[in-house]
Amino acid sequence: MAGLLDYTDGSSVLHRLNPLTKLVLAFAVCVAAFVTGNLWYLAALLAFSLGLGFVGGIGRVALRLLWTLVRVCAFLFVLQLLFIRAGTPIWLFVTDVGVATAARVSLRLMDATMPLVLLLSVTQASDLSGALVKVARLPYRYAFTLMTALRFIPVFTGEMAHIIQAQTARGVPFDTKNPLRRVSLILPLCVPLLVSSVGRIDQAAISAEARGFYLRRRDSGYKDYPFAVRDGVALLVAAALIAAAVLVR
Amino acid sequence: MTPTATETAAETATGTATGTAAAPHTSAIIATDRLSFTYAAGTRPALDDINLQVAAGDFVGIIGPSGAGKSTLAAALSGVIPHYWKGSFYGAVRVDGRDSCEQSLTDISRTVATVFQDIEAQMVAAIVEDEVLFGLENFGVPKADIPGRVTDALDLVGIADLRRRTISSLSGGQRQKVALAAALALRPRVLLLDEPTSELDPASSVQIFETLQRLNREQGITVIVIEQKIMLLCAYARTLGVMDGGRLVHHGPVRTVLEHIEDLETRGVNAPRVTTFTHALRRAVGAGLPLTVTVDETESALRRAFSGAANDTTHNTQGERDVYAPL
Repeated sequence: MAGLLDYTDGSSVLHRLNPLTKLVLAFAVCVAAFVTGNLWYLAALLAFSLGLGFVGGIGRVALRLLWTLVRVCAFLFVLQLLFIRAGTPIWLFVTDVGVATAARVSLRLMDATMPLVLLLSVTQASDLSGALVKVARLPYRYAFTLMTALRFIPVFTGEMAHIIQAQTARGVPFDTKNPLRRVSLILPLCVPLLVSSVGRIDQAAISAEARGFYLRRRDSGYKDYPFAVRDGVALLVAAALIAAAVLVR
Repeated sequence: MTPTATETAAETATGTATGTAAAPHTSAIIATDRLSFTYAAGTRPALDDINLQVAAGDFVGIIGPSGAGKSTLAAALSGVIPHYWKGSFYGAVRVDGRDSCEQSLTDISRTVATVFQDIEAQMVAAIVEDEVLFGLENFGVPKADIPGRVTDALDLVGIADLRRRTISSLSGGQRQKVALAAALALRPRVLLLDEPTSELDPASSVQIFETLQRLNREQGITVIVIEQKIMLLCAYARTLGVMDGGRLVHHGPVRTVLEHIEDLETRGVNAPRVTTFTHALRRAVGAGLPLTVTVDETESALRRAFSGAANDTTHNTQGERDVYAPL
């Protein structure tokens, strides 16, 4: 099963967009979310992100991601309600300002996370780094660092899942319903995971150097990343999203 | 990282290699001269006075029990030692006539393509095609040549159908083939492989060795394979090195090394079963029977022995390579 940030192959219009266009589009949604405070517009941005997922043929991934974010944001929402005392009380300790602020923060968090994750799911890390080097003129070593980081996120989450499965098979109660107990069981696993991760990254660095990493030039990349009409349309949409955010804030 | 030392150890013991002399060979594409290495965190040498000459165009197999120093030797031959791994380094490794300490890892990689043991960790891309492309792009292979090189490499290891697959969706064996294809695409002069078939089934293992043999014979690529499967090494390699306790205890033509079958067994290296069988038979019936390596060869030897033609040893040549068929 594909994990978070795992590339999902496909031929949708999102897949065919220039990687830089996807990056700009994702950042445009983020910027729009932070420019506006309008709850309706924030909700519309979330719907737009979800729509991107369905256009890219990764609707299920988008829904799964949304569900994860909703759970995290629900926690944040409650915290905001508890700590914001401004405004008129509407029920027990809950104030109207508290509700509005909590909703705004939660929606912004979801708006800022969803598009980037979804667009990375339909973009190969190597294409992203290739476009950053060839089009955005980013030095290759920085682009490679980004590519490696993106590549290893699913590897490490998968490794953590394997460790948890192995520990569960040996009787460690990772299947407990108590989230605090679960966290207390996971924390000791972070150190060995970190150690093995460093070792793995080190090996990847050796492997890269043994295959001529330091010889790389900007123009030695095989693939080209030209902009097409669809990229222009996507960039217009990105500009429109930010403009609308300014208008409705 | 830089090497901690590059002087030759003065007091290390002389190696007991079976076949090759310690003096550097003029046609050696890779040579070690009294190479010793102790890891920074180690107390005893992982490599101890290794004298190894690999002639250009040779097919060398390195075998030994776990902890013998095989992977450390691979790291030294590929330049990872002394450029990456810290420790006390004595002696010298010469790659294409130049001291590995005086070349960068990148320079060495122009001659030696390495497939490391930890396959997962050496993958740098998410897609099979991109993994093969990585080295080609770095070395500045002309764009017009790249598609052909990628296709050839994938075809050679039989994974052309995996070209667009994500590496995370592949099995361990398939990943090994991807790593091998990535190395082959570079068309190196030396191919160094650290246990390239550890996660492969027997049929795939044979396929890989057949490919290596073809590259070795047809393109003259020097192949150095560290491998635990003695049958494969004996069937395909021309030269065999046996390591134990950080030392190269035997080194020479495969059959010459296998003559030390009893010593090999005490070191935890089992000879092919047919070799063990013919060795036992030879001891029982006399010296007329040659030491065999493959099943077909054994059958022929036995037929000749029992038909009174056991003295004909013309079949016992390096030129013959029979089908690998484990008993």
